[in-house]
Amino acid sequence: MTSEVQQQVDEYLDRLRENLRGLQADDIREIVEELRSHILDKAAAGGQATAAGVAAALSALGSPERLASEYVTDSLLAQAEVSRTPWRIFDALFRWASLSVAGFVVLLGSMVGYFLGAVFTLCAVLKPFHPHTAGLWLIPDPANDLQISLRLGFEGPPMGGREVLGWWIVPIGLVAGCLMVIVTTSFCSWCVRQYRRSHLLPRG
Amino acid sequence: MIISGQESAEKWEVQLRKGCLELAILAVLWGGKLYGLEILRRLESDSDLIVSEGTVYPLLSRLKALGLLKSEWVESDQGHPRKYYALTSVGRERATTMAAIWTRFSSSMGKLLAPLGKEK
Repeated sequence: MTSEVQQQVDEYLDRLRENLRGLQADDIREIVEELRSHILDKAAAGGQATAAGVAAALSALGSPERLASEYVTDSLLAQAEVSRTPWRIFDALFRWASLSVAGFVVLLGSMVGYFLGAVFTLCAVLKPFHPHTAGLWLIPDPANDLQISLRLGFEGPPMGGREVLGWWIVPIGLVAGCLMVIVTTSFCSWCVRQYRRSHLLPRG
Repeated sequence: MIISGQESAEKWEVQLRKGCLELAILAVLWGGKLYGLEILRRLESDSDLIVSEGTVYPLLSRLKALGLLKSEWVESDQGHPRKYYALTSVGRERATTMAAIWTRFSSSMGKLLAPLGKEK
């Protein structure tokens, strides 16, 4: 094989490797070596690998970016399915969101869920430091309605507002915050599982 | 947008072929271990499936991650090693189940579709 042909193969595989980032190092090595072996076998059908043979083999594989995305997306979603760590799930959801509207909706939902979980927990944690202002408040609004608001206590007490839970915000906030995170995580894993079930077959 | 009958029939056919790919790969490996290019060539020659290489390799890795296939590297006389795939016991079981479903389904569809052919 000439050095020019070799260079062509290396360039393709480098681009592939670059786009496989996020997978385990061993998996990346294995994928790259398998495809190198495929390209060499295909290009050398019946003899020496030629530049034309390599070019044909590479074009049959499609762009390295697209090929890598087939590997990475499924692997990330597979991780998210079994993972209980929010950042792993986020990583997978971001990729899924870039592929479909359903993924985007689930990503938005998970953001709301994790945000609420964080605010409840934070409110409970901050209550001892801002005993008179942190907590769950009912605040009258101009339309004579009542607004429910979680306050972290960095500002003064809201005008005309009434604190609802008092010190109960500490246990309730902690439990509600943790529940929000657990429920959001389970919901996302469930969505990912459903998505993978329906897309176990390769995309077109 | 109105999709013509011909166009939607083609789309349906693409989905149908794709749906069969997983079973086809398991079936191709029934006789023993093969490497990627051999699997592709068997699929092309023995089935009516139009398979893109960029689809089959990620699918092989997915089937391996699911525990249906196992793999090993074997040195070749071409000077580079090749990755061979074989069915695991779970894979054999899955292939048998899928084949049974396929046979049952295609025979009942065959009965249902029989009058359509006669009318022509």
